[in-house]
Amino acid sequence: MASRNNARKPLKLAPVLDLNEATALHNKLLELKGAPIAIDASAVERVGALCAQVLMAGAKTWEEDQLSFTFAKVSDAFVKATQLIGVDIAPLMAKEI
Amino acid sequence: MDMNEIKEIFFQECEEQLAELESGLLKLNDGDRDPETVNAVFRAVHSIKGGAGAFGLDDLVSFAHVFETTLDCVRSNRLEPNQDVLKVMLRSADVLADLTNAARDGGNVDEARSRQLIKELEALANGEMPQPAPEPAKAAPIAQVAPAPAANDDGFQPVAFSFEDFEAAEPPTIEPSTYEIVFRPKSELYAKGNDATLLLRDLSRLGEMSIRCDMDRLPALDEMNPEAAYFSWKISLKTDKGEEAIRSVFEFAEWDCELDVTLASGDASDAGQELPMQPVPFDLSLLDEGAPAQAEAIEDDEQIVSQQHDLRDAAVSTAANASNVLKMAQTAARAPVENAKASPASAAQAAGQQAASAATPTIRVDLDRVDRLINLVGELVINQAMLSQSVIENDTNGTSSINMGLEELQQLTREIQDSVMAIRAQPVKPVFQRMSRIVREIADMTGKSVRLVTEGENTEVDKTVIDKLAEPLTHMIRNAVDHGLETPEKRVAAGKNPEGTVRLTAKHRSGRIVIELADDGAGINREKVRQKAIDNDLIAADANLSDEEIDNLIFHAGFSTADKISDISGRGVGMDVVKRSIQALGGRINIQSKPGQGSVFTMSLPLTLAVLDGMVVTVANQTLVVPLTAIVETLQPEASAIHSFGATQRLISIRNSFCPLLDVGRILNFRATQANPVEGVALLVESEGGGQRALMVDAIQGQRQVVIKSLEANYTHVPGIAAATILGDGRVALILDVDAIVAASRGQALKPEMTLAATG
Repeated sequence: MASRNNARKPLKLAPVLDLNEATALHNKLLELKGAPIAIDASAVERVGALCAQVLMAGAKTWEEDQLSFTFAKVSDAFVKATQLIGVDIAPLMAKEI
Repeated sequence: MDMNEIKEIFFQECEEQLAELESGLLKLNDGDRDPETVNAVFRAVHSIKGGAGAFGLDDLVSFAHVFETTLDCVRSNRLEPNQDVLKVMLRSADVLADLTNAARDGGNVDEARSRQLIKELEALANGEMPQPAPEPAKAAPIAQVAPAPAANDDGFQPVAFSFEDFEAAEPPTIEPSTYEIVFRPKSELYAKGNDATLLLRDLSRLGEMSIRCDMDRLPALDEMNPEAAYFSWKISLKTDKGEEAIRSVFEFAEWDCELDVTLASGDASDAGQELPMQPVPFDLSLLDEGAPAQAEAIEDDEQIVSQQHDLRDAAVSTAANASNVLKMAQTAARAPVENAKASPASAAQAAGQQAASAATPTIRVDLDRVDRLINLVGELVINQAMLSQSVIENDTNGTSSINMGLEELQQLTREIQDSVMAIRAQPVKPVFQRMSRIVREIADMTGKSVRLVTEGENTEVDKTVIDKLAEPLTHMIRNAVDHGLETPEKRVAAGKNPEGTVRLTAKHRSGRIVIELADDGAGINREKVRQKAIDNDLIAADANLSDEEIDNLIFHAGFSTADKISDISGRGVGMDVVKRSIQALGGRINIQSKPGQGSVFTMSLPLTLAVLDGMVVTVANQTLVVPLTAIVETLQPEASAIHSFGATQRLISIRNSFCPLLDVGRILNFRATQANPVEGVALLVESEGGGQRALMVDAIQGQRQVVIKSLEANYTHVPGIAAATILGDGRVALILDVDAIVAASRGQALKPEMTLAATG
């Protein structure tokens, strides 16, 4: 079932990942499910815990599907926010960059 | 509002909180295990602490903090609130009250005592809590709103937090300690617009923080609810700000998360051993609000804005939690917007005030203003009566419109008067609550075990009466515990429960408030009292006194049966002072005592000292007012119903029963001989001691409300007369003291104040 598809679909995250964005982000991720994904977090200025949860659930699901789930680009704020809440995104960072 | 006014409000609220605290603790003492009761108690202490912090009242804060910590153990079921625990807590409540008073009025507190209690409280908190329970901290949100403005963006730093005076208190705050924090938000936290990220950010500012995000509960993407809470965190924080600062970060989220803060046993590395933690970089400036995402420059106002934000969050969550306090939450949210710049503390006060007054909105008014109003209304009533009278006298065929107008005016003044009096009416609860402290202290001092039972605390009575009630009541309670109750050993020997009971009851009876103080002690030792009275030359050695008269001897000045003078009572200024204060209030006091079973002191006081519904009567050409509440019925005696009894007594037969007929004019010495009953009117009255009497007066003039003017203040006490009033025609009329008259009828004539009988 897990057919590898090398064409990673991009997902650009909104600058503010707050409560309101969580559901939207969840839907976007669901739409992209089943294909490798490269997330562009370069514009992110604020990260709420809910969006972090959605992203991590995504990472987990993608991992179960044995598909690649990477952060292609990240902003400083995004990195710091994930550090703050103790979410380690290092393994998810795109290696190619 | 300047700072002092705000402070004054704070202290007023402290009083309310202290009352709440005490009643909660007493409920717990009675076996109430309702978590809401525990919460209410916790909230009270928490609010006091919060407010005290805002004013930098260090002693108060540090004591409240320790107290709160112990209460928290009770709240989270780590500490069973048994009798011993509650004893300490009740004493702590007393000390808290002392500290509050000291903070307000200056003066000293017994430092040794508070230090001792701090130790005891800590022992309780530590002794039985090897593992802090993960129970969520759940103070009601409203109380949480109160201290909010004290917290600035960085947490809770302005809260003065000094333990210098308490060496045994928390670990020294100068040394940074490592805390382990488990933070488990609930979905509600996010639903209310709060974000765990913000809390963690604030937390990280307190010191060096390592964090581990627990994602175990995170489901797969398609199974998850994007707005539910799945993450939880385990945090290790090295800070010198103390646990309080940590908790205050979660102040507004407390309701919506599970939070567990513990002091790490070893150094930070221990904590790190079991789980890998990610260190949090110190510089988190990018995450600040007001960073690029927000265009406006709000540097100067940032603090205030964020306070408002926090407050609003709190208010919103409050509303969500309890819809019935929605209005308050809104007020709390609005308040800071209006006040934050000028004085954040006032917002706290506004919010706190809302919390304290529960659902009904209240205002605080200076008592002086109310008094002035009452006085003026009194004058208005007199003036209105004068006006009616002169209209009737001068305009015999008065037009109906004037009469109608006058009638309406009369009704209106009446209503105004009632409403004004209602303003002053207050439940006796605060006074009763103070008594429980007295009981505790005396019980401690005397080594007796005493239980105070109060009933009818919500009985309302005029504020003046309440204020003046405390002192005599204190005296009586002291006496009851010190003299009335026996020592536990003696009680056991007498086959009684070693714990003595003092029962304090308030109730309305025939338009007066009756306060009863009953103990189940030994009762009055009449032999001893009698001997003492003889020794003190109060009575002749061969005087033949009834039991009641002996009992009443204790109201004599300079009378004290205690063999040795103790701190508590027995200074010989006891009961006569009590009696005089009660009399000054227009009240009476009497004793019923049964040897071996205890004594009952009954005080009867007027509900108000300002107005009275009375029947205006004529006796021997004098105008008197008989309180309407005492009158059962009026009747015109017929010669056939009058019967002689003994030499001077007469009885009247009313519906087949006999009732003593008293000539008021004779008793008051208005006339030398008894009047002919058939020519007069009999007022059937109910007396305090029970039983009816027929008071004979010459004629009834009418019924009206009269404004009471104290006779004692303006003239001097007159036996048989309670007070005076001014009638519509400007004349002074005396208000009859029905019970004194009834009592006097037994002893033939009225005696001066120092009578042996319990007349008053």
